[in-house]
Amino acid sequence: MNRLTCLLLCILAAARPAFANDAAIAVSDDTREAYTQAIPALAETDRAKFLKGRALVRQVWVIPPSENREIAGLGPLYNRLSCIACHPANGHGFAPESAAEPMRAMLVRLSVPGKDPHGGPLPHAAYGGQLNENGVPGVTGEGRTEVHYRTHTVSLSGGEMVKLRQPEFRFVDLAYGDFPASMMTSSRIGSPIFGLGLLEAVPEGTLVALAAVGKPAGIKGKVNYVWDAELKKSVPGRFGWKANMPNLRQQIAGAMVGDLGITSPLFPQENCMLVQSDCAKSPSDGKPELSAAQLDATEFYHFALAAPQPRNNGDKQVKRGAVLFGKAQCAACHVPELKTGEFAKYPALSNRTIHPYTDLLLHDMGEALADHRPDYLANGREWRTPPLWGIGLAQKIEARAGFLHDGRARSLLEAVLWHGGEGAGSTQAVKDMTAADRNALIDFLESL
Amino acid sequence: MKTANWMLALCLLLLPPLAAATEKVVVITSYPQEVISQFEAAFEKKYPQYRLEILWRQSRDTMNYLHQPHSPVDVYWTPAQRNFAQLAKEGALRKLDIDLTGLPKRIGGFQISDPDGYYVAHETAGYGMAYHPAELQRLGLPVPIDWKSLTAPAYSGHVVVPIPSKVGYAPMLVDTLLQGYGWEQGWDILARVAANASLADAGATFISDDVGSGRVAVGMTMDFFAVSAIANGKPLRFTYPVRVGYSPAHIGIFKEAANLNGARTFASFVLSDEGQKLLFHPDIRKLPVRPAVYARKPEGYFDPFAAARLASYDYDVATGLSRQELVSALFDALITRQHAVLKTMWSAIHQAEQRAPNDPRLQQARNHANWLPLTAAQANDAARQQLFIQRDSRTESLEQQWNADIANHYAQATRIALAIAGEKP
Repeated sequence: MNRLTCLLLCILAAARPAFANDAAIAVSDDTREAYTQAIPALAETDRAKFLKGRALVRQVWVIPPSENREIAGLGPLYNRLSCIACHPANGHGFAPESAAEPMRAMLVRLSVPGKDPHGGPLPHAAYGGQLNENGVPGVTGEGRTEVHYRTHTVSLSGGEMVKLRQPEFRFVDLAYGDFPASMMTSSRIGSPIFGLGLLEAVPEGTLVALAAVGKPAGIKGKVNYVWDAELKKSVPGRFGWKANMPNLRQQIAGAMVGDLGITSPLFPQENCMLVQSDCAKSPSDGKPELSAAQLDATEFYHFALAAPQPRNNGDKQVKRGAVLFGKAQCAACHVPELKTGEFAKYPALSNRTIHPYTDLLLHDMGEALADHRPDYLANGREWRTPPLWGIGLAQKIEARAGFLHDGRARSLLEAVLWHGGEGAGSTQAVKDMTAADRNALIDFLESL
Repeated sequence: MKTANWMLALCLLLLPPLAAATEKVVVITSYPQEVISQFEAAFEKKYPQYRLEILWRQSRDTMNYLHQPHSPVDVYWTPAQRNFAQLAKEGALRKLDIDLTGLPKRIGGFQISDPDGYYVAHETAGYGMAYHPAELQRLGLPVPIDWKSLTAPAYSGHVVVPIPSKVGYAPMLVDTLLQGYGWEQGWDILARVAANASLADAGATFISDDVGSGRVAVGMTMDFFAVSAIANGKPLRFTYPVRVGYSPAHIGIFKEAANLNGARTFASFVLSDEGQKLLFHPDIRKLPVRPAVYARKPEGYFDPFAAARLASYDYDVATGLSRQELVSALFDALITRQHAVLKTMWSAIHQAEQRAPNDPRLQQARNHANWLPLTAAQANDAARQQLFIQRDSRTESLEQQWNADIANHYAQATRIALAIAGEKP
């Protein structure tokens, strides 16, 4: 066993309480603006770039042609009008409450069996890789998703009952014909966008080591290897619900073109498939619509967004919850502490100690959460461990914030109870806890 | 057969409800996402038969869009009063044939809705001062109670003022002072405050950011930037001056509306109790125009109708809107382009006032400092206003003349003040 593995095992076993992040890269802010703050280490000379990026993330985009070319480019097909529509206040998206409500902070990825030339999902010939519900005037939206729920109740020790809702998705008003039986769909709510620069700064070697290290209770974890469109090679994935994006730049550019229909230097083609002739004919504004400088600023904004510091970590109940978090093996995947390496893209993030509560790895989460849609090396049951930092503020910032990939969980306890597969042991441990212990565990999560 | 029908009915009842087909209501707006999201969700929840299709455009771009061939738009819903006035003049809007009971057309002396009924205010923002209490305390400065408070030399370096030619909401703010105090006194106050201030432009940052972080102690701004930041936890306060200015936002229905019922339903919704109360949301914090909803306002929320009962002045919206570009150009000439000189000049005058308050030359210095290239009557001249809307070589030539004259007057004011203060110019 090498020294790094030893160190990692120590981290996994220690069930660390919510230690503060390095003060230069995190903020003590428990307000509804907590996810929008710059790292304290942001240099005054970088402030204008940060604000420029912020303006772009907050921008409601304009359908071209427009005299405001710097903010024009929405569509021809799109899901929402702005980044913050799905990431309200930079935070969590949410699922519709019923079939009557459209997806407002959520989308559906599509693919058919097979792989694209780089090993990624194979888009459908007519609908592409994502269902775009809206089109600009003259372009028909691709269709709508209705979310129906089936509920069931889970019993916990002590007699507590928790109602869980399982979503079912129906696709209606499909503009290019019914989906084939082989169509694979995967619904995703918007994820928080703060602290991501720090996660990009975690060295590849750490991810590989985290995957390699032995873990308790059948927990594994693997790195997804995905296509880097700039480097033209496979690299570890670390962003997105399936870790299917290699870095923030590609994540941003991918969301811009996929969700908003805004082209960029990285993805210069509009999101029209060959059969979508009205889409192809629709005017574009600027080539690309998001300039390289704008993409730089947006990327920089993401790099410099701080994570909130944990709160109340001196509280007895929170401390007890932290211990229970470790005992239930939650920390085996939601790794409390990581260290960033040298990060040339934004050196202020280099060599920082962070507490994101993620390993950025893929884990089998069981059948109930499976989408049965492979994404590079992620199979249909595997999901990336989402970071937990700041999660206690999620519903203060957006009252409807949902948890898990499709926002089915309306509370942190519901989210825990959905864990299956490698997380099944942890779920059972939480079910078996006394109500007081469960409350302490939730208080701990709320403190992050 | 009867049994079969009952069974079929029972089956239909047990099936999960399918969403009915929806009709789109096309709305053009420049509201930020937070406002759009709140209204969209509440409207579509109440009226699931409709889906809003938002076309987002800035004010000038909207007019370009509407003047080109385009797909029909149902509703115009935005803070852009001049566009509404122009569209009504062009005959593009329908008279609003919805129930407007309980919606006054004025807040005190401030006209907020179209007297002819083509568009109606659905919210308003108020102008005032955001301040950082801890920073003011640290500096030993009092909380400002009116715009005039900020002219005190003690505020020097601790104020931020938006530039009206750069910041969308600032022209009305400036005009509020010009109408509230009168043309000459209004410019005097603006110049003195600006001499104490840094100037914010559109590309910089929100004033509430600067004040919110304590980098600057006080900012002239619109209430909702600050009040929303306060509601979301920023350590700020906001105070309305004695003469509150308002910037109403409106809603109107286009004659070309393809979904007239949907348009009426949406307009009625935003004006209803339910729609008006959405304005209290921490992410919005605009002022409702339906007085009745203030009975359930969040604690400390400003009630413009109550304030107008205590103090009011007549504000002529048409005057303010028509001279907007000219006033912004004048602000740039008097303040933006001369900012360093302005600061030096007012610093010298303040020194002179301290050194020799009864020196007769002081008035001379003040006269030069307050010199204006235009009277109010000249500023209200439609032909001159048009020159600043269209802008051509004549505008540039006029501005060059202003620059030279203003520089000359400021130089003379500075020279006289320094002479009084006993310093060499």
